[in-house]
Amino acid sequence: MSSLHFPVYILMLLLAFAVTIPLHKKPYGRKFQVLMLSVLGVSWVMALLELLKVLWDAPYSYTFGNYERGIGIEFLVDEFSALMTLVVLTLSVLIIIYALRDLEHEIESSRMYSYFTLVFLMIFSMIGMIFTNDMFNLYVFMEILSLTSVAIIAIKKKKDTLMASMKYLMMGAIASVTILMGIALIYMVTGALNMSEINLEISRVWALYPRNILLAMGFMLTGFGIKAAIFPLHNWLPDAHSSAPTPSSALLSGLVVKAYVFAIAKIMYRVIGENISVNIGITNYIIIFAVMSMIMGSVFALTQRDIKRRLAYSSVSQIGYIFLGLALASELGFSAALFHVISHAFMKSALFLSAGAIIYKTGIRDVKKLDGIGYEMPITMTVFSVGVLGMIGIPGTSGFMSKWYLGLAVLDAGHPELLAVILISSFLNALYYLPIIISAFLRERPGKPLVMHRDKLPRTMKVSMVIVALGSILIGLFPHLVMDIIQRAVPTFIGINLGL
Amino acid sequence: MKLDLSLIANNINYIGAMVLFIIGLYTVLTHSNLIKKIIGINIMETSIFLFFVSIGYVKGAVAPILDPSTGEKIFVNPLPAAMILTGIVVAVSITAFSLSIIIKIHEAYGTIELDEIMKIRSVEVDE
Repeated sequence: MSSLHFPVYILMLLLAFAVTIPLHKKPYGRKFQVLMLSVLGVSWVMALLELLKVLWDAPYSYTFGNYERGIGIEFLVDEFSALMTLVVLTLSVLIIIYALRDLEHEIESSRMYSYFTLVFLMIFSMIGMIFTNDMFNLYVFMEILSLTSVAIIAIKKKKDTLMASMKYLMMGAIASVTILMGIALIYMVTGALNMSEINLEISRVWALYPRNILLAMGFMLTGFGIKAAIFPLHNWLPDAHSSAPTPSSALLSGLVVKAYVFAIAKIMYRVIGENISVNIGITNYIIIFAVMSMIMGSVFALTQRDIKRRLAYSSVSQIGYIFLGLALASELGFSAALFHVISHAFMKSALFLSAGAIIYKTGIRDVKKLDGIGYEMPITMTVFSVGVLGMIGIPGTSGFMSKWYLGLAVLDAGHPELLAVILISSFLNALYYLPIIISAFLRERPGKPLVMHRDKLPRTMKVSMVIVALGSILIGLFPHLVMDIIQRAVPTFIGINLGL
Repeated sequence: MKLDLSLIANNINYIGAMVLFIIGLYTVLTHSNLIKKIIGINIMETSIFLFFVSIGYVKGAVAPILDPSTGEKIFVNPLPAAMILTGIVVAVSITAFSLSIIIKIHEAYGTIELDEIMKIRSVEVDE
């Protein structure tokens, strides 16, 4: 079997499985879980083979129906898209293994099928967004993603989830409308929707229409800024991510927000091109917003007592790091951003999953009441600590390596003042994360002696949490596993026009 | 400075699209009624459909159906219209989904006015 068609097979498999889930007649049970995991497993293997093929052979573009570029829809299968697909699928598998038991107490069993339909559609649209090389196709995938990601929050029947999902849906709708306006403006100048075609066209004519391109970029960056929750536009994120069921929070914070970051990266560097992005000055604006996110996200997180809200605000500040890396418009900065996308996906999933496990077992959401929890649930709190140390940037975790790369990139770009911002943000991270660990492991809860127990959690939840944490440590100790691939992917964004 | 009216007249559809966009955004931001917010989003979407279809318009051209007997040479661009069909589908699904959430909100809070919901929620938090 030729692995040429694997990207499409992955998408087809996920979509076909998603739409056939509601046809299952039998009540939700073990048989369905095995089937679901095997579908995900098959697509994971295909993503892995795809990545190996791209690394050994060469990147290629996949055109649907053999229409030539510019007429038909094109998928670009290169190191970037293959790697990110593998990351998305790996984390989805782990989070869904966790969800098998955790969901039982968050949504009723009659809704399980609907939930997994939505999750599969969501993974499908994320992978589509990563592969596609067509602006309107990107928009359609993005709409599927935003609708399904609202739906997996609203599926939990509680009063505050309803308001949170309404807010998310409103902001998302405004954002997608603005993005479509940006696409329309670009189409007006270039007459093309294929990203490579637009890039060719725009690099020739941009001097004639600088205002038009600036306007289009303004619309698109605002839209994607809302969807990726950069600071002044972030206010839907904490509600949405904290009130969702735990597996949804992990998927939303770890992966969905990143899909929009990839879209911004593609538009800034593949569609508009590095030179023009720097010349019309949008990178400077993004640096300002990124810095504000990094600081303000952490400051807001300090004031939260709900553990999931604290994690959600921390996402805002971490998205700031990614945007900072993107906006530096250098190879180092871009690779640091992509590295942080992956390491943050692992760390934040580990944090959300372990916080979810605490809520599953004890029902405590208040960080002030977590005294001594480390003795009741040692494995969970170890996973949590790995995530926390990564967020702060302690050597040995993936967070340290991404901050290291980001620091190097900032110095290389000649902005030493940004290094201070990174350090301040790290201190703030330590300030709001470390008290949780300290009280969990070192403080005694009144009336409860500090005796070590074993976590009384379902085995699937423990296994998936531990694997996510191990993944974070693995990337931290051997960053070159990921960095080598990223460094091959970066030149397709920065430096040259597309060589395909 | 003399205002060139023909410039405005020729670009009236683009100006109209932008005005509609701003009206829609204003509606979303200022009204506290959730249904009105949805209407505002719909206005914004409609403005983009108008904008997109205007891009494909060519003055004096006919619909792109090839008919050798008439010998027409200039056709309008059909691609924006095709894309807008997809856009309309997306808009309808967003509207339907948000209306269904609004029904649930009405069941939970007994109102769809955002400021009243906020009052109810702040009382709940205090307790």
